[in-house]
Amino acid sequence: MSLQRHLLPVLILPLFLPFISGCIQEKGRQEGKETVIIFKHGKIAGDPEPFRQLLDRFEKENPGIKVNDETLPASTDEQHQFYAINLEGRSSDFDVLSMDVIWVPEFARAGWLMDLGHLIQEGERDEFFPGPMHAVTYNEKIYAIPWYIDAGLLYYRKDILDKYGFLPPKIWDELVHQAKTITKNESDLYGFIWQGKQYEGLVCNVLEYFWSNGGDVIRGREIVVNSIENVTALRLMRDLIVTYAVTPPLVTTAIEEPTRHIFGNGRAIFMRNWPYAWNIFEREGSPVKGKVGISTLPSFPGKESASTLGGWQLGINRYSRHPDAAERLIRFLTSYEAQKTFALTIGYKPTRKSLYRDRDLMKEQPFITGLYDVFMKARPRPVTPYYMMVTQVMQPEFSAALSGIKTPEEALSSVQRQIEHIMGVAR
Amino acid sequence: MTIKDSGYRFVISALILLSLVSIYPLVYVLYLSLHRRLLIFDISRFVGLENYLFLLKDDRFWNALKNTVYFTVVSVSMELFLGLSIAMLLNRTFMFKGIVRALVLIPWAIPTVVSARMWEWMYNTDFGILNYMLGAKINWLGSPFWAMNAAIFMDVWKTTPFVAILLMAGLHVIPQDIYHAARVDGAENLAIFRKITLPLLKPVILVVLIFRTLDAFRVFDAVYVLTGGGPANTTETLSIYAYKTLFQTLQFGYGSALSVVIFLCIGSISIFYIRLLSRGIKQ
Repeated sequence: MSLQRHLLPVLILPLFLPFISGCIQEKGRQEGKETVIIFKHGKIAGDPEPFRQLLDRFEKENPGIKVNDETLPASTDEQHQFYAINLEGRSSDFDVLSMDVIWVPEFARAGWLMDLGHLIQEGERDEFFPGPMHAVTYNEKIYAIPWYIDAGLLYYRKDILDKYGFLPPKIWDELVHQAKTITKNESDLYGFIWQGKQYEGLVCNVLEYFWSNGGDVIRGREIVVNSIENVTALRLMRDLIVTYAVTPPLVTTAIEEPTRHIFGNGRAIFMRNWPYAWNIFEREGSPVKGKVGISTLPSFPGKESASTLGGWQLGINRYSRHPDAAERLIRFLTSYEAQKTFALTIGYKPTRKSLYRDRDLMKEQPFITGLYDVFMKARPRPVTPYYMMVTQVMQPEFSAALSGIKTPEEALSSVQRQIEHIMGVAR
Repeated sequence: MTIKDSGYRFVISALILLSLVSIYPLVYVLYLSLHRRLLIFDISRFVGLENYLFLLKDDRFWNALKNTVYFTVVSVSMELFLGLSIAMLLNRTFMFKGIVRALVLIPWAIPTVVSARMWEWMYNTDFGILNYMLGAKINWLGSPFWAMNAAIFMDVWKTTPFVAILLMAGLHVIPQDIYHAARVDGAENLAIFRKITLPLLKPVILVVLIFRTLDAFRVFDAVYVLTGGGPANTTETLSIYAYKTLFQTLQFGYGSALSVVIFLCIGSISIFYIRLLSRGIKQ
């Protein structure tokens, strides 16, 4: 097969030889003076200037290394596709890559990442939140360093809950009760909105209900998705829409932004979303400015609340020509100081726990430091190289359960069967 | 050297170019489709027709095929009907004819992804202009019944102008004398349409059908942006399924088998139309 695969490049190579040799010469000349490393990442929110200044600081501290940062397309699907195609082709065009929390085991299994265990000493691992550390560990080795963190939150309208004398709900039943009571008396107000379109975000939402009832998808090597806990959890989501009618049917097409809009216009009491929405709510002129509270998501009685972990990690391309320089960049970007700057200037949430007790940060970004409890409870989606296939199975089945095409039992037993099939076949 | 000889030389250079850019990938996809190839697990081995046999048992494939066929049949027939009506209307002489013709083309000129995003907001249950105008709360993209039809509606909005323009060109070349003669013979409007316009327009209609059927069968961007295949895969078309298999789960073997099936479907549709077309011309 390799013959066929390589025939085409061999045939057309002569056409490009002049260009290629030109490039090589160019690179050689540069390397005499300094090492250039390429850093690929998604778009940095807001003003790009502070981020570039951070990289400039790194260059100043590390003479001889130059960092070219290159932005990938905005959609995470496209970024995944970019990495998969280039790494499969053993491209050494980039050295440091930022990865969504769900990709690390997959890339590690494919042999595309360097082992970075030596960058974090045994004692230093506790410095980071447990969720992301779990997500970057595959076969007991660490393949990436957590860069910034994200997790699902419950947003609520402080003013409305106060008016009715309610405290933020700790269990789902409470949330349903509060939402029902309030919507009965107030017009044009939704109870509880979340993300239910068939996409990755739906899985993030559903897992929070599973976990908050003691359920899970994969435990160790066992597939445990078809459990009573999960059936109850999934049924609750359907009931929120149909039986309790506190969630409008529109959530079955909603992603983050539409729900943020509705809540931001003061049209909902509760919303599940990521931390990014906070700054938008607190902007000058926002109808809900000063009226929003946040807390961990509710749970089932007697169970632990949980939220789905998001965020990005930095790893090194296995085929990189400058692994040493790349390591230095990762060490720098995930350091206490750099994460602090990043949090102060752009508002990205640090992955180091100690920063949540940092005085400057507590003063300047009290919202971020207030998220400590949420991030401690954040759990990664199933940490397995099969994840991308597993989520492709879960998305349509969960969607079917929410829209009433299947019962929760049917959907979950189908998920169980399909995941067993995937994991059986791929081995 | 005769003209015929030199002709071969041009054809051969074109053939080489074509085989590099289109036949080589095609053969490679066929080759991949006979393998189990999972990038992440470094698995790549020959499995013969196993991927195709699995495809026969794969409910998700049959569901996607059903969706694709429904999308194609409904959207193409609506586009043809509406396009023909618009073409007939615009073929008359009236004031600002040029401007109106240009205006009609606007939906076609907007890139699909952009118009799909536009429609996504128009279909929004809460702020969407459609529900506002209807005074209803229809969950267009979220209900299993509406989602596919909503996607079809957007496609019809977008491509009807294209159909109309092609048909207008076809109407233009029908000699006016024939219409005059028919009128002199006392033919009714309907009879003129059935006996003169339709038969003379047939080759153009077939060309339009080829274009539109093939395009509709491969539909990806419009539906992907609107619904991502949901809810519960009720709008997942073959192209979306192949894309997810190939580029999201990186199953190159099975994804290639899916692509080959799409190719075979499209190939047979084209052959069917081309037969019709050549028979029409011979008559």
